[in-house]
Amino acid sequence: MLEPIKENWRILLLVVAVVGSSVALFGPGFGPEPAPGESASEAQQGITNLQYGLDLAGGTRIRAPLSGYTATDVAFDGDPPETVIDAVAAELDNTTTVDLNVVPEESAVEVTDPAVTEGQFRAAMDAAGYEYADVRSGVTQQTRDATIGIIDDKINQAGLSGGSVQQVQSITGEYFILVEVPGEGREDVIDLLEERGTVRIDIAYPDGNGTGVQRGVLTQRDFDTIGTATQNERRQGSYVPVTVRNTAANGQQSSAHAFQDAVAQRGFADAYQNQADRCGYNPETGEIEEVNGDRNPCLLLVVDDEVVNSFGMDPGLADNMAAGSWAETGQFRLTTGEFAEAQSIALNLRAGALPADLDISGEGTSSSISASQGENFRTYSLIIGVLSVFAVAGMVFLRYREPRVALPMIVTALAEVYTLLGFAALLGYPLELAVIAGFIAVVGTGVDDLVIIADQVMSEGEVNSQTVFNSRFRQAFWVIGAAAATTIIAMSPLMVLGLGDLSGFAIFTILGVLVGVLITRPAYGDILRRLLTVR
Amino acid sequence: MVAIEVPEVDYTDYSNRQLAAVPLAFLVLALAIIGGWVVATGAPANLGLEFTGGVELRVADDTNGDVEQQIRTAFDREPDSIQTIPGDDVVVVTFQAAQDDPEGLANDLQDQAEAAGLTTTAIDQVSPSFASDTARTAVFGVALAFLGMSVLVFALFRTFVPSLAVVASAFSDLVIPIAAMNLLGIQMTLGTIAALLMIIGYSVDSDILLNDSVLRRTGEFYESVSRAMRTGVTMTLTSIAAMIVMAIVATVFGIGLLRDIGIILAVGLCADLMNTYLMNVSLLRWYKFEGVAR
Repeated sequence: MLEPIKENWRILLLVVAVVGSSVALFGPGFGPEPAPGESASEAQQGITNLQYGLDLAGGTRIRAPLSGYTATDVAFDGDPPETVIDAVAAELDNTTTVDLNVVPEESAVEVTDPAVTEGQFRAAMDAAGYEYADVRSGVTQQTRDATIGIIDDKINQAGLSGGSVQQVQSITGEYFILVEVPGEGREDVIDLLEERGTVRIDIAYPDGNGTGVQRGVLTQRDFDTIGTATQNERRQGSYVPVTVRNTAANGQQSSAHAFQDAVAQRGFADAYQNQADRCGYNPETGEIEEVNGDRNPCLLLVVDDEVVNSFGMDPGLADNMAAGSWAETGQFRLTTGEFAEAQSIALNLRAGALPADLDISGEGTSSSISASQGENFRTYSLIIGVLSVFAVAGMVFLRYREPRVALPMIVTALAEVYTLLGFAALLGYPLELAVIAGFIAVVGTGVDDLVIIADQVMSEGEVNSQTVFNSRFRQAFWVIGAAAATTIIAMSPLMVLGLGDLSGFAIFTILGVLVGVLITRPAYGDILRRLLTVR
Repeated sequence: MVAIEVPEVDYTDYSNRQLAAVPLAFLVLALAIIGGWVVATGAPANLGLEFTGGVELRVADDTNGDVEQQIRTAFDREPDSIQTIPGDDVVVVTFQAAQDDPEGLANDLQDQAEAAGLTTTAIDQVSPSFASDTARTAVFGVALAFLGMSVLVFALFRTFVPSLAVVASAFSDLVIPIAAMNLLGIQMTLGTIAALLMIIGYSVDSDILLNDSVLRRTGEFYESVSRAMRTGVTMTLTSIAAMIVMAIVATVFGIGLLRDIGIILAVGLCADLMNTYLMNVSLLRWYKFEGVAR
């Protein structure tokens, strides 16, 4: 019983590999991870569990560094971060403290305002009187991590299934953020990423005959919870329900109390007595106009420094604020016109602004492929693959003219590709053009080695015993092993260097060589032995 | 059906110098071409988009009119190349090395294409400074792969001349395709870099086979050579066939990556046939008959 298994273990191993690949390719449970709200069968692309990369499915890939400068090994002289930020910001024109960041763990100070040059930053650091080792371009690890987290949130909340973001390092040590979003156009993705999405509330109030604006009475960080965008039932428009933080450290005023005081001070309670009192802000002139004979103060919803909506206040709410009781709950609605706008504001509030800009135009790359083009590429690469296999098969038949030798050779080479496809499904590695090229290269090298085995075994006369076969097979295997080792060594730089999507080519060429040497080529030897050995 | 018979070459008719002269002449010529390119253009090859920076658009050919003419008028700057893909009703338009804000350029070009009623099916944008990084990384990668291969070959054979023969022939296999690319007007892209690395791993196979047959097997020199040649030529020819098919079909369908890999590998493997069975054999023969005796 055990004897045949022992004798044919190499062939059995190949069978196991092929069966395993079939399970990975077609079995349930190995498919792509379904996006939220998507069933497992919907996530599947085609009849197999294979996943397709951007080249073959359409989508956008962006690779760019974060713009900014970092001063390293800064001597803080025991100053707390806030003091350092204030001191450096004071030396930079037009830069607010938001664009500066101190990372005590890395002893670093970074500036993320793209308008600040390296020279200006150096000068500001010198003027602020903090010693530093050097200023390098790029931002700190902490900021990169935060950015990746936020982009991830943005992708998820925009419902872009299959999108991913990660950090890659180039050979020169520079860090890049790599964003891949299947099925979306280039401009849409860039808009989503570049939207720094600062949301704030200003108060516009009548100032004599003109209009004054108190900026930033509420900003992003004042919000405690952010609800989902909701359509207003009674009136037109939509809103995002939020709660404003109403607790603060000892001795400080909470955001909710500060907002409440500002509203009370601008006289909202007096202005809004009943539903007839409305906000008369004209976004084009920036002036408050008369409504029913009054010029009432208004709340302005400002996204990316642009006023997107202006609204008055419910009389009840205004009274609560004047009485100082509103801050106990801190509940508030950010009112917008269109529902889509409410959605985008909720998204921006929740995902937050990117801590630093992606420098796509300066040092980045982007590529985008439409879904139909990707589908075409999928068909074409299948045709190219099949024709290449035919070419190899044709050559092998022409050379050996003996189906006994040639047929198993082609079947073995195909089994190798099939096993690799199984690996791709199992690992969830998305197929791309580069990976397809790797498959074709594998067919090429695979058949090469089978030729070596066949020639070696059949040379020097008849194979008349197991011992003769084994000795010849071992000799052939030395060459195959050496050839495999050189291929792996030559391809490994490509695997780690991060040259575009070529790492897929390298990974699958190397994987193919390993599968070949460990599984398929020994099995071909066994098949050949069974066919050739005179018993 | 015609069978492929690997021809028996009678090496005894030729001296080592005669045998080595042909591949060495090719190598010198290739180096001269590459050198000329460096002098004339500042780079060893025609650099593609990935190494210069720029924007590449793929425009769908879904109109009945002359799309190329439409493309020429659609954009406010002159495209560096317009290439029609026969198998896939699209036209690839390339704008190279936009020093001034390539991302804005990509947006502008997409808008201009849209305004002209052209459908953009794919767009690639590479900024120049990223491109120069890529070029440096690529050169480093090829050098590293070559070094690793050389070390491994010396470790495998542990004799100087035969190992040197393998490394020298791999070097020539690498240089000849680059020169051929320059002459054929093929641009250096990431695909060709992958192909060059593949050549490093691929082309040494037949050299290893030859060395193994001559140095590690019993048998007379010429018999060993012809045995290795029968196998080696077969396997190189199968690979060349696969690569030529891949290059032709990929050209028809406009898949640049696969086309580039196919062409470069096909040329490199042809060079390898010559280098292995002329240069390598002569070096091995010298080593076997004179080098060892000394």
